[in-house]
Amino acid sequence: MRRSPVEGDWRERATRTIIDGGGRTFPEWPIRAGPLCSPADEHAHRHARARMTLVVDHLYKRFGTVAALDDLAFEVPPGQVFGFLGANGAGKTTTMRIALGVLDADAGRVTWRGTESHRLPRATWGYLPEERGLYPRMRVIEQLVFFGGLHGVPADRARREAMSWLRRFRAEDLAIRKAEQLSKGNQQKVQFIAAVLHDPPVLLLDEPFTGLDPVNVMLLREAFLELRDRGRTVVFSTHQMEVAEALCESVAIVDRGRMVVGGRLRDVKRSTGRRMVRISVADDHRLTWLAAVPGTRIIQAGMDRSSVELDPGVEPEAVLAAAVAAGARVLHFEVADPSLEQVFIDHVGHPVEEVGHLAPAEAEEAEGGTAAEGGTATEGGAAGDGAAAVDAA
Amino acid sequence: MNAGLVPTGREPVGRVDGDGGLGNIALVAKREYAERVRSRAFVFSTLLLAGLAVVIALIPLAVRFVDQVTVTRIGVVAPDDKLGERAIAVMDGFLNAQLESGAPATKRFVFEARPDVGTASTEVREGGLAGAVLIDRKADGGLDFQVLSVGALSQDRAQLLQIGAFAVGILDWTATQPPTDRPFVPPAFAVVDAGAVDSGTGAVGGATIDTAEYASRRIVGIVFVVLSFLTLVFYGLWVAAGVVAEKATRVMELLISAATAEQLVVGKILGIGLAGLTQVSLVLAPALLSLLLSGEIGDALLGEDPAAGTSLAGLSPGLVAAFLVYFVLGFSLYAALYAGAGSLLSRAEDLQIVALPLSIPAIAGYLPAVLALSGGSSSFIRIASYVPIWSPFVMLSRLSIGRVEAWELALSIGLLLVTVPLVTWLAIRVYRAGVLLYGQPPTLGTFVRAIRG
Repeated sequence: MRRSPVEGDWRERATRTIIDGGGRTFPEWPIRAGPLCSPADEHAHRHARARMTLVVDHLYKRFGTVAALDDLAFEVPPGQVFGFLGANGAGKTTTMRIALGVLDADAGRVTWRGTESHRLPRATWGYLPEERGLYPRMRVIEQLVFFGGLHGVPADRARREAMSWLRRFRAEDLAIRKAEQLSKGNQQKVQFIAAVLHDPPVLLLDEPFTGLDPVNVMLLREAFLELRDRGRTVVFSTHQMEVAEALCESVAIVDRGRMVVGGRLRDVKRSTGRRMVRISVADDHRLTWLAAVPGTRIIQAGMDRSSVELDPGVEPEAVLAAAVAAGARVLHFEVADPSLEQVFIDHVGHPVEEVGHLAPAEAEEAEGGTAAEGGTATEGGAAGDGAAAVDAA
Repeated sequence: MNAGLVPTGREPVGRVDGDGGLGNIALVAKREYAERVRSRAFVFSTLLLAGLAVVIALIPLAVRFVDQVTVTRIGVVAPDDKLGERAIAVMDGFLNAQLESGAPATKRFVFEARPDVGTASTEVREGGLAGAVLIDRKADGGLDFQVLSVGALSQDRAQLLQIGAFAVGILDWTATQPPTDRPFVPPAFAVVDAGAVDSGTGAVGGATIDTAEYASRRIVGIVFVVLSFLTLVFYGLWVAAGVVAEKATRVMELLISAATAEQLVVGKILGIGLAGLTQVSLVLAPALLSLLLSGEIGDALLGEDPAAGTSLAGLSPGLVAAFLVYFVLGFSLYAALYAGAGSLLSRAEDLQIVALPLSIPAIAGYLPAVLALSGGSSSFIRIASYVPIWSPFVMLSRLSIGRVEAWELALSIGLLLVTVPLVTWLAIRVYRAGVLLYGQPPTLGTFVRAIRG
């Protein structure tokens, strides 16, 4: 999946983004014209899509010696919840900042409905930064009215909508508190409200679930789905694969500024050729007979039901056959797609957590290359390849 | 899903018109203003400074009090010894007698004869004498008085001497033998700079000094120069500290995605500038009031003194207007510099890195401003009064002393008007790159790269 930035036919390039390591292609968005379309149809679809979607169009961005984005390209279908997946340093935050117009790309562009991002009003976007921050001494409701105001929402309306969002998050009592008195989770909820208060068509949320307790994760997920139902496009970055798996219709997996695989969740999960089997055998939860089948691995052993991951090329039937041969009483047998976590490992070569969470200070220094191309970037360079994976995202 | 609770769908993307433009500037400025003015530090520092200013305003009263027990030595130079003796006797009796009600036993004035102008002026210049009264007999027999002093003989002293001169004149007129029909004309009286006396010829030249106004102009000038220096550096630092705090708390990430760098920088300068102006007004108003009332307060506390006058003679509306113009322009300039510098820092602790370098040019302008107050007008001071980063102090001090050509004022303000937008534009460029930059404290190279973008 190491592609050089060849300039080629647009369709060819778009298709390439969903080629997996094995060279198989998968259908992209449902809206996309298939190979059977006539060139005219293709043109029309391409046009329609440009009008409808958020397009990240072959972005390049260097910070000193570190390539933060290297020909990153993908599209987000409108009205979907979209997961932008990658380890720290994959380029997620940089991409979002370029979309917001806060950073300039070295090459490439981001468009929404056919308009380039720097021509769009800022109120197009609702942004939740990864680094959470509010004015510590300001009351929550005043901050929300202030940020709403910057996006053009009149004060009384901003106040009303802020209160209704706080009610929704079961946090009305926070309104008159100062931000410095809030827990991290509550600050995060307030920041999410600051991002959605002006009801933007596109939400860019950087790691929105990090640091939230399960109740708040649930509240936020509900909010996502409801925003989606109202036609808003929700893009969120995460390194938590379970969350993405549960929420997203489409995902893009990025690694070191490059697109690895993207598309509908189901297609992405099948992109490795790997399958998974869920099996339940009476009076036997150890599944010792499975050792006879090469290329299988129990990833979740349960008293009732176990999940068994199969390497590409291993047929699920082989597991069933082995079970029967071993005389096991199979109560339940199901062929399923692999977990997104496994797909990520297969594509990127390591688990998402493994690149690790560098201390924020280190990440910042690599990021420091932004403007201080000489000075600070040297440190990024000295850190070598590890620094290349450091965020920018 | 309880849809009713969720804010209902306004058509997304309200505004395309220049992205909030002036509205966002006003919002940012309003927030900055409210944050400063409501802060405890603001309230305390305002109270403290206002109290201090009132105390300073009342210092002349204290001086007047101390004055009552100090002795002023005055030399007397007369065309003939007889007139000299008589003048000394009259002024000694008259001026020191004034204090009988007040009761200090020591004399307030000591008068001593001096043979000629050259000796007297040398002694005045060297500080042996506080001043010298030069008496001249005119052709018609009337008397002419000049008082030599260096810079400022205090204003009430000069007025007392004038009263003394008046008395000498009357006695001299009545004592003329034989009595003439020449009507009594109050003697001419002027205070002259001792430095202008030619010690060789003894000729007295140079401009006469209105001591009262001169002293007042100097006091007002010092107050304004010190005030503009402190406010520009102090409120400028507020701007830098505000930017750094937004970065350190990471609220900047949200801000920069909601408003443009231009709106954030201009709004911040505006809001903090207004907060600064509010504080200056709150500090100055009680002080000016005390100055205006100090005459009455003094009379009530220390007894009537016909010589004591108001100290506000040097404070003209034009000077106040000039102070405001230079505050607004000077603050915009300094605040833009501080905003740009602040955007390159990551932590509040790093503020000192920019605080010192940025206050050096201000101090370099403060010094010629103080020099200008003591009457200097070297070409260095004149040029400094056109240089935008210094003119807010130097031109102000030249203005309070007087003698500034209209074209000089126009040049100095014109240069500021050109420089402020230019520096603000540069600061916005630095800010735009700087606010996302975390890590090492900045070097000079960082600034250059940030400007180049």
